[in-house]
Amino acid sequence: MRKSVNRPPTPDAGENQEKEPSVREIVNIKLIESGEKERLMELLRERLIECGWKDEMKALCRAFVKKKGRNNVTVDDLIHVITPKGRASIPDSIKAELLQRIRTFLVSAAL
Amino acid sequence: MSSKINHPINGQIFPQPCPHLAEFRSRNGAKAFRALQDCLRVKPPSGRAAIRRDPDEVPRCAECGDSAGRTRLYACVRCAGVHCHAPPGPSHTAVHADSMAPGHEIAVDVDRAELFCCACRDQVYDRDFDAAVVLAQTAASTLHAPSSIARSPHPENLRKRRRVDYRPWMPDPRERVLMGSCSSPLNAAVSVSRSNDLPWGLRGLNNLGNTCFMNSVLQALLHTPPLRNYFLSDRHNRYFCQKKSGASNDATRRNGANNADARICLACDMDAMFSAVFSGDRIPYSPAKFLYSWWQHAANLASYEQQDAHEFFISMLDGIHEKVEKDRRKPQSQGNGDCCIAHRVFSGILRSDVMCMACGFTSTTYDPCVDISLDLEPNQGGSAKVASTKSNYSFNGEADFMNSSQSSGISTLMGCLDRFTRPERLGSDQKFFCQQCQVRQESLKQMSIRKLPLVSCFHIKRFEHSSVRKMSRKVDRYLQFPFSLDMAPYLSSSILRSRFGNRIFPFDGDEPDTSNELSSEFELFAVVTHTGKLDAGHYVTYLRLSNNWYKCDDAWITEVNESTVRAAQGYMMFYVQKVLYYKASEKQVAA
Repeated sequence: MRKSVNRPPTPDAGENQEKEPSVREIVNIKLIESGEKERLMELLRERLIECGWKDEMKALCRAFVKKKGRNNVTVDDLIHVITPKGRASIPDSIKAELLQRIRTFLVSAAL
Repeated sequence: MSSKINHPINGQIFPQPCPHLAEFRSRNGAKAFRALQDCLRVKPPSGRAAIRRDPDEVPRCAECGDSAGRTRLYACVRCAGVHCHAPPGPSHTAVHADSMAPGHEIAVDVDRAELFCCACRDQVYDRDFDAAVVLAQTAASTLHAPSSIARSPHPENLRKRRRVDYRPWMPDPRERVLMGSCSSPLNAAVSVSRSNDLPWGLRGLNNLGNTCFMNSVLQALLHTPPLRNYFLSDRHNRYFCQKKSGASNDATRRNGANNADARICLACDMDAMFSAVFSGDRIPYSPAKFLYSWWQHAANLASYEQQDAHEFFISMLDGIHEKVEKDRRKPQSQGNGDCCIAHRVFSGILRSDVMCMACGFTSTTYDPCVDISLDLEPNQGGSAKVASTKSNYSFNGEADFMNSSQSSGISTLMGCLDRFTRPERLGSDQKFFCQQCQVRQESLKQMSIRKLPLVSCFHIKRFEHSSVRKMSRKVDRYLQFPFSLDMAPYLSSSILRSRFGNRIFPFDGDEPDTSNELSSEFELFAVVTHTGKLDAGHYVTYLRLSNNWYKCDDAWITEVNESTVRAAQGYMMFYVQKVLYYKASEKQVAA
């Protein structure tokens, strides 16, 4: 993107180096760099569609919009309402499968 | 809240921009989103578009350093500053918009390439931006290409007609008298005994010499609701039709036309069969006249050898159509089903998109079809990756039964339909001539359903004939088929939407076809099955009447259990639309 005069100042290089990257951040970066994160996302999407989770969420969204009225709902509202229900209804098998994939990845990345 | 008043533009519903987006556009002109376009990254394997300054960038909020895992990240379209947005928690995106106002309200979700207005706190849509995303996605394979997604011609004869509400009709006293005087009631004794017996319209068909291929299809057609209603309500009266043929015979006699042919009418023979089968008489019927008529039409198939039921089905529909065409003396397009009852019932429209992988130019064609022929998957079982991931974790407990069919490797009808509508790479030996590149290029082809027929017939390609190896074989693999089927995921609108995501983008002259929007749900009512070998086999039809299943094996009709039907080897499956809609008639009705 073109650099604009109005661009906010880049955070100080010194400031950043004081914060050590957490384990979570390191893992995240490794996942992205290797392309594994994208593959995991695809796998997750596929599983959530297969088990009907996506359709369930869609139905919940529709019901919410119907109740509130089409012109009275924002993306933020929807996300706020759906997220807890979505997180709660993910099947354990999917969580287990993804955890296993990540573990496998970490083992192979560490070697 | 952003304004969501929808105004149709060329028949497309298009959300109005919010005032902040409108202002941004007017301030920055036509190239408003040009800079963003260069940052559009389309990631394989998903084909999803994301915004990244460079491909390996890990975006973080400029204020708090949060990365995309915990919160949505938005990049300001004006100054490229990336901020987090996690309402009702902190939103540095909102802070940024407020502090830098005016001019920094519009941002783009970095992981989804979707526009957001920070002032209105809601998603907004822009045609040019979506066009850019779609282009990036279609050009994702090789070169970055110039714009232009082709405009394809409207499918022929797809006129939109007003829909009318169903109005039930009951005869008035005068009409009752008329009906009584011109008809004779069916045997009352039969209708009484029927309640303990088989339902109305079930009658065996005698095998006239390896004619089970014909009997099986006829049984399915005799109970195809729209077809049955058409003939039983006397819409094709065989006496009038034969008289008319006789009259036209005299006129054409001088031209030396084949008079015998003019009398042959498959629809008349169908009419006779409907009358016989629904008369209440249970003695098996011999469709000899029909067989003779069909032999006249399909001379190459006229023999006592076993034939293919599907081939017969196609040939028969064609025969009905041809006779109508001959009578009207002008060719009719099959697409809208206005030509004859066969096409009115079975004809749908398939859409085929061929996309050039070099420049993204897509060529779209529409073809009418009376059925869909599906391949069975080449190897037993679902995709290999499903099997491998299952072995990765020692997960004891209930398996996820919702995707058990895919995990355990059973072929399903929906799986076949998925494969049918999957994008297929046309390899180097099948290069398609691209209008834009003006050379043959490798392409991606995808099928979808533009218009659903009233009755969908799915034909499973179980008979493989290889002219190369000079042999034929039958594929016996079991196929699971549902009793209720929703065709929505295979419609062109759905396929295109899944290709491009939630983009507001006019899809090549695609009018919103109200018939598809209303209902895409189908119910199974007949299954034609084949048992045995390729050259020595037997066809049997299972019919569903009032939610009971009946096996029609030539002259023998028996009631069977639902599970018997589910376990059968489906060759042709017939599904009828659950809800019918009525179009306003073009004819003026006399007062």
